[in-house]
Parts: sequence; structure tokens; C-alpha cells
Amino acid sequence: MNPKESSSAPEAQEEQGALGDRYERIKAAEQARKALLARRHYSLRLQIYLGFFLVLLFAAGIATALVLTMYQVEDKLRFLEIVNDFMIEIQQARRFEKNYFLYGTNLSDALENVYKAREISNRNAEELNAILGKRSMSPIFPNLEQYESLLEELVALKREDQPGPRHARRKKEIEVALRKHGQKLVSVAQDLIAREKAALSKTILRSRNVHIYALFFLLIFMAANAYLLGSRILGNINRFMKYASRIAAGDFSPITPARSFRDEFTDLALAINQMLLELERREAVLIQSHKMRAVGTLTAGVAHELNNPLNNITLTAHMLLEDYETLTDEERKEMVEDVVKEADRSRDIISNLLDFARESGAQVETLDLKELLEDTIALASNQIKLSGIKIEFKATDHLPRIHGDSQQLRQVFLNLILNAIDASEKGGKIQVLALPADEPNYVAVKVIDFGKGIPEYVLGSIFDPFFTTKAKGKGTGLGLSVSQGIIAKHGGKIRVHSREGMGATFTVTLPVTTLPAEMPGNERTA
Amino acid sequence: MSEEGLDVLLVDDEAIVGKRLKPALTKIGCRVEVFEDPREALERIHQKTFDIVVTDIRMDEIDGMQILEEVREKSPRTKVIMITGYAMMAVAREAMEKGAFDFISKPFKPDDLRKVIARAAEALGSPLDFGFAETKAS
Repeated sequence: MNPKESSSAPEAQEEQGALGDRYERIKAAEQARKALLARRHYSLRLQIYLGFFLVLLFAAGIATALVLTMYQVEDKLRFLEIVNDFMIEIQQARRFEKNYFLYGTNLSDALENVYKAREISNRNAEELNAILGKRSMSPIFPNLEQYESLLEELVALKREDQPGPRHARRKKEIEVALRKHGQKLVSVAQDLIAREKAALSKTILRSRNVHIYALFFLLIFMAANAYLLGSRILGNINRFMKYASRIAAGDFSPITPARSFRDEFTDLALAINQMLLELERREAVLIQSHKMRAVGTLTAGVAHELNNPLNNITLTAHMLLEDYETLTDEERKEMVEDVVKEADRSRDIISNLLDFARESGAQVETLDLKELLEDTIALASNQIKLSGIKIEFKATDHLPRIHGDSQQLRQVFLNLILNAIDASEKGGKIQVLALPADEPNYVAVKVIDFGKGIPEYVLGSIFDPFFTTKAKGKGTGLGLSVSQGIIAKHGGKIRVHSREGMGATFTVTLPVTTLPAEMPGNERTA
Repeated sequence: MSEEGLDVLLVDDEAIVGKRLKPALTKIGCRVEVFEDPREALERIHQKTFDIVVTDIRMDEIDGMQILEEVREKSPRTKVIMITGYAMMAVAREAMEKGAFDFISKPFKPDDLRKVIARAAEALGSPLDFGFAETKAS
């Protein structure tokens, strides 16, 4: 393969890779969407409605039960009232009855009271029947009828007014019977009142218990419902908070189903997945535009550096033209060779930059950190020379390989080196070190400058987007923010350590690759 | 200047510059000494007084400005011509303020430098026979 072919082949490959990557992302998002929607629908709204409906149903049941109890209580009170009235009349009648037997007066009054009692029982017969049933009613009336008829007989006897032994005996018999029936009548009514009072207090107690238990149950039910609803909402909010911090850390993989049903949070997940696609696209644009800015910075150095080979070519060509006839073949050949050599040199100066500037999608491969850093330093070398700064590079031997996108990582290290150049005084130096990190399975790259250092009060915000300490138009304030995003996506971290007047150290830690080493050539030729 | 022609010292860390300019300047009657290492050039400047010193501005370790300063200090009569790159106009201006005779930007043609040297020779009061270069350039 000649160099031309080999340089164009990976280009096509990379472009395909970029398209493929974007396609993969969209496909993953689409799969996530399908999986999210495939589940049974059980919305929060439904759970809320269901909870309230159950509470309503229960409350309605309790209310009905209470209303019914109240009717019962009312009935019983009414009954008691009737029986009480009845009893008062009977008692009055008995009092008159006694008076009659003792003093011979009030007999008609007694009969009147009995009529009144009878009227009460007749008037309320239906109600009494409804409450007592036929069976319990029966003992009242026979006694009342007998008592009434005995009194009537007594009145008749009195009207005859023929005192005689038969008369007196009959009066005595009636007195005994009257007393018996009267007592019976009173005791039945009293018994009835006592029974109904007991039943009434039982009903009131039941009603009170229903109140207490219903309240208790309602409390438990509502607490359980609130707990279920709350834990469902809070659990999901927590889950989405985790997603948010994951996304903030640069992981843009779509949200996949975590539960067996779908609800309003599923809609949120779908919206976030859509947002992720957009975010990723924008981040790619941001990284690319930031890269182009770095390329712009480097271009000044490259253009300046190009003057040297160009000057050599100009001088050589002009002298060749001027002295063509007088020069020996040997000298002419040497001059042409110089021109070729200087042209090659120009190409090398430019090609590294062009290689870096080329737009390409994320392509993850195993990388040799030392090689990557050497490439990056070469990229910045013109800038370093132009600034009159020295750069020292040291790498620990046999550093483990890392896994990542070489273009993006070069962009990060270039950014750190260019920042270090900006921070250094003319004639200063920068150190770049690659070594195993303090934590196992990580490697660290340190970019150290010996400039003014970073004041403590800005240290906290240097990774914020659009934060810059450089003069207007010199920096976008995106470099460290973009770098942090790239490193986070690689599972690493950027830290800064600086004291005013003592320079600054930026440390990038990256996880070492744990996958079996791939053959870098395979990807290219496949 | 005991004999005909000018003593010229040329320093540029690009080897080809010296290699091509030496014959080009010799042709117009200069005695040219070429250095790639600015340190060696400085040593030579301290040994001998040149009529003209041509120096690149951007070199490692010792840059053209330092050579300019030392030459001006040692021999105010010596004309110093600075070679600059593009986008270094500020540096060129600074060199002029420090007493450089003129500057010339890379990339330049041999004749560009020859013309500046001819003017320097006139300023020194010993004009060069520049006919050869003039006819070639036209």
C-alpha cells in the first residue's frame, strides 16, 4: 500500500463509523422506547382515583350504617315515649283504683285513664307492632282489656247501688283481679321499657363503636394508600435523580424499563430519551466547535512554522534558477533533493493538524497513552516554540493501555497544554507526566505549569461552561467544561491543584482497559 | 574594511538558508561567514567586527534580539538585518526600535536580501557593484 491509499482508507472508514454511531444511538433509543411502551399501563392517576374511590365507597358504607342506626335509635326513643305515656296512664288509673277501694272516689277517673291508655296503644298500634312484633304485643292487650272490663263492671256495680253480700263479694273478687291485672300491666310495661332501654343503649354503643372502628380503619387505609402512592412517586423521583446525575456525568445511554408497568413516569422517561439524543448531538457539535477553536489557535503556530521550509524551498529554487548553467549535476541534484525534503517537511507540519481537525464520530479503541501524548505534544509543538516555552514529557514505562476515542482525548490534553502555555511566562516550562494513578486500575496524566497559579476563589468555577479568566475574545470558557465532559464519558476525572504564585497541576485520571487488547490494525482493514 | 567587499555574518538555525545564501551573497562581493548555532555566531562577533550581520529572530536558546543587542553594543557601525516570519510584525518593529537596519520576512528571495544588503552597503559608504543581481532580478 502506498501512503496515499492508506491515508484515504481510514478516512472513509471513520466517516462510516460516525454515521454508524449516530444510527446505533437512534436505534438504541427506539428500542428503549418500544420496551418502555410494551408494558401494562397502570398510571399514577389510576392509583390516585382508585384510592379515593375506595375511601369514598367505605365512607358511604359507614354513613349508610350510621343513618340506619340513627333511625333505629329514633324508633326506639319514639317507642319508649309511647310506652312511657301508656305507663303513666296505667299508673294514674291504678292510683285512682286504689283511691276508689280506700275512699270510694275517682272510679270514673280511673276508667278515663284506662281509656286514654287504650287510645295510646290503639293510636300507635302500627308502630308498636312494627317494633315488638305480634308476639310481644299480645301480653299487653289482654291485661288491658281485662282491666278495663273489670273497671267497667265495678262502675256498673256502683250504679246498681244495692249493697248486699253478693255485691260485696263480687266487689272483693273484682278488687283482687283488678290488682292482679294492674300489677301485671305495669310490670309488663316496665319490663318493656327496661328491655327497650337496654336495646337502645346497645344500639348507641354499636353506633359509637362503628364510629371509632371506621375512623381507625379509614386512618389505616389512608395511611397505607398515602404510603403506597408516596413511595411510588418518591421512588421514581429518586430513580430519575439518579438518571439526571448519570446524564450530567456524560452518560447519554437511553433510559430502559425498570418496572413491570408503565405510567406517567414512562412518558417522562420517553421525553428524557428524546432529550438525550438531542443533547448528544449538541455535545458532538460543541466538542467539534471547541476542537476547531483549538485548531484555530494551532494554525498560527503551524503557519509560522511553515515559513521555514517554504523559505528553504524559495531560496533553493531561486538559486537553482539563477545558477543553473554553472552548477554541476551533483549540486543541482542536491538542491532538488532539498526542495523535495522541505516539501515533505511542510506536509508533516500540516498533516498532524489536519488529522486532528478532521470531523469524525466517536471511535473507541485501545490506545497507548504515551503515543497519544507524544502526538498531542507534536501537535502543539509549533505553538510551544512560538511562545518560547519548553516542554518536558515523561512517561512511566509499560503503562497499561486505555480505552477511548483518540481524537477526543488528544483534544483534552491539547486543551490542557495550550492552557498551560497561556499560563506560563515566556521562557518558562511545562511538564507533562504519564504515570499510574493513586487508585488501582487507573492511569494519570499530569499537565503542570509554573505560571501565576489559579486564585482560590476561582478554582471552584473553572470547569463551569463559559467561565474564563482570559481576555475578551481570547477564550470561550468552554475548554475545561468540554474536556471534563469528554473525560467523564471515558469514565475518568479531571482534578486541579493550584496555589497562587505556584503554578497549577491538572490531573486527568482514566480507567485502564480491562478488555483483552484488540489488534488496532483489524478495525482499520475490516 | 581594508579590502574590497563587505564582511557579512549570517546566522539562521535552518541549515539550508546558510547553504543557499552564502553563494548568493558571495556573488555580489561579500565575504560571508555562516552559522547555524547562535552561540557560535556570538563568539565570532566578539572576535571580529563585521559590516553586516544577518540574523533570524526566532531561534532556540539565543534569539535574534539578543544578537542584535550584543552587536549594537560592540559595534554601533555594524548594520543588523533581521529575518522574521509572518505574523511577527510586532517583534520586527521592536527590533527596528532597538537599532536594526531593516528586516526581511520569510519566505524571501535571494534578491530581496541582496537589495537590503546593497542599501546597507550604501549606508556604510561602500556601494556594491550590484549589476549582476539587478539584471537577473529584472
